[in-house]
Order: sequence, then structure tokens, then C-alpha cells
Amino acid sequence: MTKELRDKARALGLDRLTDKHLAQFERAVTSMERHLQRLPRGMPAAREPAHVYRAKGDVR
Amino acid sequence: MSGELAYLGLAEAGELIRAMKLSPVEYATALLARIERHDGKYNAFIALTPERAMSAARAAESEIAAGRWRGPFHGMPYALKDIIDVEGLQTTAHSKILIGNIARRHAVVTERLEAAGGVLLGKLATHEFAIGGPSFDLPWPPARNPWNRDHFCGGSSSGSGAGLAAGFFPAALGTDTGGSIRNPASMCGITGMKPTYGRVSRRGVAPLAFSLDHIGPMTRTVRDNALMLQVVAGHDPGDPGSADEPVPEYGAMLDQGVRGLRIGVIRHFYTSDVAGDPEQVTALDAAVNLLAEAGAETSEIVLPALQDFSACGQIILAAEAYAVHEQWLKERPQDYGARARERLLAGAALRAVDYVQAVRWRRELRDQVAAAFANIDLAITASSMDPACRIDDDATLAANYWRQARMPFNVTGQPGLVIPAGFSRGGLPLSLQLVGHPFGEALLYRAAQFYEDATGWTKRHPPELSD
Repeated sequence: MTKELRDKARALGLDRLTDKHLAQFERAVTSMERHLQRLPRGMPAAREPAHVYRAKGDVR
Repeated sequence: MSGELAYLGLAEAGELIRAMKLSPVEYATALLARIERHDGKYNAFIALTPERAMSAARAAESEIAAGRWRGPFHGMPYALKDIIDVEGLQTTAHSKILIGNIARRHAVVTERLEAAGGVLLGKLATHEFAIGGPSFDLPWPPARNPWNRDHFCGGSSSGSGAGLAAGFFPAALGTDTGGSIRNPASMCGITGMKPTYGRVSRRGVAPLAFSLDHIGPMTRTVRDNALMLQVVAGHDPGDPGSADEPVPEYGAMLDQGVRGLRIGVIRHFYTSDVAGDPEQVTALDAAVNLLAEAGAETSEIVLPALQDFSACGQIILAAEAYAVHEQWLKERPQDYGARARERLLAGAALRAVDYVQAVRWRRELRDQVAAAFANIDLAITASSMDPACRIDDDATLAANYWRQARMPFNVTGQPGLVIPAGFSRGGLPLSLQLVGHPFGEALLYRAAQFYEDATGWTKRHPPELSD
């Protein structure tokens, strides 16, 4: 297991991960990268998130 | 017990119970005996609650005899995925992490089923925390497919799907964050509804990803599904995602057929975005033809690519799920099964900006889908791209997470209903998915009832369990 990966996990507070867990962490991050590559980067600046904070509470 | 009683539907059983031709006590007793006899092969249950069941069945029988019939769920056996709280019982989420986690009160859906007079038989197997499975490294074994026990039964509501196909109960609840009601419905040849986001309260159900989580009914038939949704649907002021929308009569249109319905066909999901298994594609094409011959106006519609919904949904799911599990993953990573741990760790390194961009993208995707639905009443597409693979086929199981067309409707929050659509040459169920406008569940039931009546797929049961 690379020191870089262990350091990355430690920085995230995941310092109890074993080598086996770190291998899983690496696969999970790689898999997520594929999804992240599809994220559109050119959305209009004013495009709001799908759920929006409301000061008076939840809209039902 | 005769096969007829094991596979009695909720609607039919409810009528017999009301007329006092079927005793809730005898019904529950017979199903518990069947579970005792067969569940060692299928592992649908994590925990049976026979004493509680018999007490509820006796109470139902007395009330009905005294003229106090509560409705079609009165005296009805049912079971719950073990992420749904029942006061006084353990909610484990099929995980070592939650052993000893006794619920202090009912989930809202449990309250509603109990108030309707339901008879809880027990808590059902799930993929660990509704995300990681099937797994052989947990305190309980994974559920298996009654159509072939060497095969995957889908998940994460795995025990719900397996138990219905096995004739252990006529109704169960599942949950669906990226397809977890509709996947076991597809794999097990049963009927599963992921209702509109906010239609059914999530309070008292272990969260996976707050903005994608749905609770819904799983049954063998469409009519039964509509009856169960009627019991659990409705506004809950204690659930911030709950919708204050009127609850219609879900069974009102069941016998109206499909003539005149405008049905969009989302074919690119299973032909070009992902190449579906030929038998599954043939079943879908046959279903579209059947609906058209019966007078529905069918036309192809185009949505954004399946992979876009998958990416958007998986980023949101990973971020929200990690928020739930962060502390446990830091302190007790060894107490998760390997599959759940790996899937949950996907959220650990996500940047805040990626989550926010995904949530902004979600709004765009929802708007694009709404535009495509502007001139149709409902749509038809695939649920799973393949019949169930072997439970020990790790490579194909991994592909199961993306060879599906369910996540789009967790992202948009629209209702998705999965029903059986035939069988593969290997004898495993095929399926289709109907998708509606928000809060359009009743129309999905109408179209599905037509298809069910026309094809009769729900009348078939696993040959291994014909006794």
C-alpha cells in the first residue's frame, strides 16, 4: 500500500483502515472519478441546486 | 399448506378475511410454518416475530368477528426490510454495526400498517445499510432467489423480493435509493413501486442518502401494490421531505385499460446507452407492442444519457451516505462487510464543490425529463438490463450497479413501478418499468394492471416451492 494513499486516508480521519481497507478505498475513489468526469462544468452561474434552503422552514 | 394459500394475494385474502372465510390466525400460522420449512434455503428473514404475529392475528380475528373491520389490510401478514423501525425490536440494517439497536418507537410506515390491522411476521434481509450486498461476511447470510437459489435475488430489499416470490407473505415494504425496491422486483418476478419522493414518510427508517431515499410497497400483484400504497402514503409533518399532496384512490383506475394513454418509450436506455440482454429487450419490445395493440399511443422519447443520471445520482448518494457513516467508518471500519465498506468509502474523498455541482446538475436533469414528459401520460423502459446472475459471480454483480435504468427516477423523484415481463430461457424473471409524472402512481397502476391481466406472468411461481 502506498504511503500517499495511507496519508490521504489519515488526512480524512480514516487512520484505522487496514491495508485491505485501503485497497478498497483506492478502488472506491477510482470508481467515483469516472462519475466526476461526467459532471458538467459550464452550468450557468445562477443555476440553483435541486434543494434550496428556506429561512421559514421546509416547504411541504 | 396448499400453494393457493401461500400465493394468495392481499386483495383476495382481504376479501376472504372480511367475509370471515379465512381466519387471520390460520393464515398467519400457515405462513409461519411455510417460512419455518423453507427459509433455511432462501434466508429472506433476519428475525421472525411469531408471538407478536399470533397476538396481532388473534386481535384482528376478534375485531372482525365483532364487526370492527378496519379495511383490506386488517389481519394481513406482512414483513419489513430490516432498516425500518418496529418498537421494541432490533433494527440491524443487516450489519454488525447495529446489533443491539432496539427501536424505541415505530417508523411512521410501521404505525400506519399496524393501525390498518397488519400482522407483522418479521424483519427481512437487506444489503448491509441498503448499499452493500450480497455479502457472505455479515452476521446473517444473504437472501437467495427462489427461482434459482444459486442466483442473486436483487437488492437492497433482498428479503422482501425473495420472501414474496417464495410465498412467505403477500406484502412487504422495501426502500429505494438507487433502485433497491425495483431491482429485487425485477430479479424475483414480483411487483415493486418506488413512489414519488415525499409520498411515503421516511421517518423511522435508517437513511442511506436523504435526498434520494424512498419507501415503497412490494407485492406479487399490481392490485395488491395499490392497496398497500394506500395504507402507507400520506403527509408526515415530521419528515422534512414529506409532500403535503392529496392521496388519491390508487385502485380507482385499475380496470380502465390503456386505450388513449400516451406512453413514451425510453428505448435508448436499454439499446444504446447500455445494451440490454437480448431476451430482456425482446420482452420490452413485446410489451410496447401489446400496449399499442390495446389502444395506447406509444412513441419514443429521449432523455439525457443513462450514464448522466447514474453519475449525478452516485455522487449525491456517496456524499450523503458518507455523512451518515463517517463516524462509524473512522471508528469501526472492520465491522462493515467488504461490499458496504467499499461503496461507502467512495464518499470520503469527495469535494464539497463536487456534491454541490451534482445537486445543481440534478435540477437540470429533472427539468430535461419534465420537458420530455410534457406530452405523455407515462413512460415505459427497462429496470434491469439482465436476468439475475449467479450470487457468486462477483464481476457480473459489480456490473449490476450500472446495468440498470432505475437511478434516473431517484434523481428526478418520479414514481417507478416494476412488474414481471416474462422469463428467460433459463427460467429467471424478466421485467419492465413504468414511470410516471410526480404523484402519478395511480396511472402507473392502471397501465400495469392491464399488462398483468393480458400476460398472466404473476400467476407463475417458483417450481421449487410448489408445495
